[in-house]
Amino acid sequence: MKVADLLESRRDNWRELERCCYWMDGRRLKKVGAAGVRRFAALYRAACADLALADAYQLPPNTVHYLHQLVGRAHNQLYPSRSFVMAEWGREMLYDLPRRLFGDNCLRLAFVVFWGVFLACMSCAYFSPQFSEAVVGKEMKEQIEHSYDEPLNRNDTNERSIMAGFYVKHNASIGLQCFSMGLLLGVGGLFTTISNAAQLGTVFGHMASVPQRANFFQFVTAHGPFELTGIVLAAAAGMRLGFSIIDTGGYSRAASLRRASREAMPAAGASVTLFCLAAVIEAFISPSSLPYSFKAFVAVLSSAMLLFYFVLLGYPRENA
Amino acid sequence: MTPGSATIDTRVEIVTPENIAFQYRLAGPFHRLGAYLLDVLIRVAVTFLLFWVLMLGTGFAGAPGFGLGAWLIVWFVMDWFYGGLFETFWNGQTPGKHMLRLRVVSDEGQPINALQAVLRNMLRTLDSLPLIPVIPNLIELPTYQIGLLASAASPRFQRLGDLAVGTMVIVEEPQRHYGMARVNEPEAIRLAADLPANLPISRGLARALSAYVQRRQTFPWQRRAEIAKHVGEPMRVKLGLPPGTSYDLLLCAMYHRAFIADRVDEPAPISPFAEVVPTGQPPGHHHPK
Repeated sequence: MKVADLLESRRDNWRELERCCYWMDGRRLKKVGAAGVRRFAALYRAACADLALADAYQLPPNTVHYLHQLVGRAHNQLYPSRSFVMAEWGREMLYDLPRRLFGDNCLRLAFVVFWGVFLACMSCAYFSPQFSEAVVGKEMKEQIEHSYDEPLNRNDTNERSIMAGFYVKHNASIGLQCFSMGLLLGVGGLFTTISNAAQLGTVFGHMASVPQRANFFQFVTAHGPFELTGIVLAAAAGMRLGFSIIDTGGYSRAASLRRASREAMPAAGASVTLFCLAAVIEAFISPSSLPYSFKAFVAVLSSAMLLFYFVLLGYPRENA
Repeated sequence: MTPGSATIDTRVEIVTPENIAFQYRLAGPFHRLGAYLLDVLIRVAVTFLLFWVLMLGTGFAGAPGFGLGAWLIVWFVMDWFYGGLFETFWNGQTPGKHMLRLRVVSDEGQPINALQAVLRNMLRTLDSLPLIPVIPNLIELPTYQIGLLASAASPRFQRLGDLAVGTMVIVEEPQRHYGMARVNEPEAIRLAADLPANLPISRGLARALSAYVQRRQTFPWQRRAEIAKHVGEPMRVKLGLPPGTSYDLLLCAMYHRAFIADRVDEPAPISPFAEVVPTGQPPGHHHPK
C-alpha cells in the first residue's frame, strides 16, 4: 500500500475530526452528547496514531504539518479549561488562605511598612502644616479641609449608590494596581505601599489638627478597618510575587514565581472583597447622619471580623 | 520536523496524555496585538452599551443613581476581569483571540485554569506600562513596552503575566492543505516503470523526494535541474541509466514509485491497512502550492 492510498483512506477521518472540532468549539458537553464524544475521541485517537506513525508511513511534510495542527485543535477541545469549583474556593478562602497569611512574612512586612509610614506621616502632619503641604500639595489640602466643613448628613440613597460604584472602581483598582506592581521584584509594591501610606497618614494627621476634625473622623471611622486592611493585603500579595523571584527556596526562578502566584491570587481576591465591603460602608454608612456611636460600632464589628479571619481561622493547628 | 526547524519556526512541542508529540505555532506579540485591539473595541462598546441600558432602565424607574453606580462596577469588572473570565469559560480564548484563532494554554500545552486566566490578565497592568495619560487618572493609553520587552526576551513570547502563571499563546490555524503532490509528466511515469523493481529508497531519501516534488513547480526548469542534480547524479550512476537523463524527471519517477504507485508487475506488499481496499486512481487531485 502506497502513501497516496493511505492518505486517501485517512482523509475522511481527518475531515470528520475537523468538522467535529469546529462544531464542538464553545458547545457544552451535554449538547454534544455521549455518542458525539465517543466518536470524537475515536477520531482523535486515530489522528494521534497517524501522527505518531507519520515518520514510519513517510507522510509528506505538508501532511505532517496538517496533522500537527489537527491534533492540536482536537486536543484543546478534548481537554478544556477548568473553571472555578465553588467548594474548592470556599475551602481555599476560609481554611487555607488565613492559615497561610498568618505565617506570611510578606504580610508582616507590608503591615509594618504601611502602619510605620502611616503613623510617622500622621505625627509629622499633626505638628507641621508645612509637612502636609509638601506631601499632598496646598490645593489638595484645602480641598480636603473644605469638604469636611459641613456636618455629615448625606442620606440620599440615589446619590449614595453612585458613590458606592465609584468607591469600588476607584479603590479596588488602586489595590489591584498595588498588587500587580509587586511583581517588579517587590520594589514596585513597596513603593506603592509607602506612597499610599504617606498620603493617607498625612491627611489623617493634618485633619486631626484642624477644626473640621470631628466631621472627618465621623466619616472615616466606619470603613477604615476594611479599607486599610485591603490595601495592606493587596500590597502583601504583590510582594509575595516579587520576592519569590529573589528568594526561590531552591526552585528555579520561573517555578518559584508560579508557586507564589498560586498562593498570592486568593489573597488578591480577598483584598478585592474587603474593598467592596469598605465601599458599601463608605457610601451608605460613613457619610450619613447616623450617630457616631453607630459608626464606631461598625468599625469595631468589622475589626472583630478581621481578627476572627486572620487570627482565629489563621492560627496554626496541629491537625491541619 | 527536526529540532532545528522547530526553533526557527517558533513551534513548541507538546506531549499529550496519549503519549503523542505534536507541535503548536506560538503567537508573536504583533499577532496578539490584533486580538488585543479587537478585545478593547468590544470592551469599550459593551461598556458604553451597558451605560445606556442601565441609565435608561433605572432612569425610568426614577433612580438613575443606582444605574450609574452599577455601571461603575461594570466598568471595574470590564477593566480587570474581562480577559480572565472569558479565558476561563471559553477555554483560553477571549472574543478577540477567538476571531484571530489564538488560544492561551499552559507551558505544558495543557488547558489553563481559572487562576491562571485571571492572574495573567491582572498582571497586564504591569505589562502595559508605561501609560500615556490622555485624561490623567481616568483614560490612559497603554503602550505595552514592558510586555513587548518581556516577550521579545522569552523564547515562547511570554509577557510578564504569562511568565508569572506559566502560560503561552498559540495559534490554532485551520489548514486544509494536506494532499499528495502528483507527478503529471508522462515521461516521468514512463521512466518510473523502467526503474528496477527493488528500488532502494531510504526514509531520508523519501522525505527529500516528497519535499522536492511538492515544491518543484515553483521553480523554473534550470533551477530544478540544479537542485535535482545533487541526488539525481549519484542515483543515475547507481541505477545505470544513460547519461543525459533529466535529473528532475528521475526524481519525479522515484517519487512516483515510492509514494503513488508500484510497478504493475510487482506483487502488492502486505500492509497493516489491507482492509482498506485501494481503488485505482484516487478522485482527489491536489496540486502542491
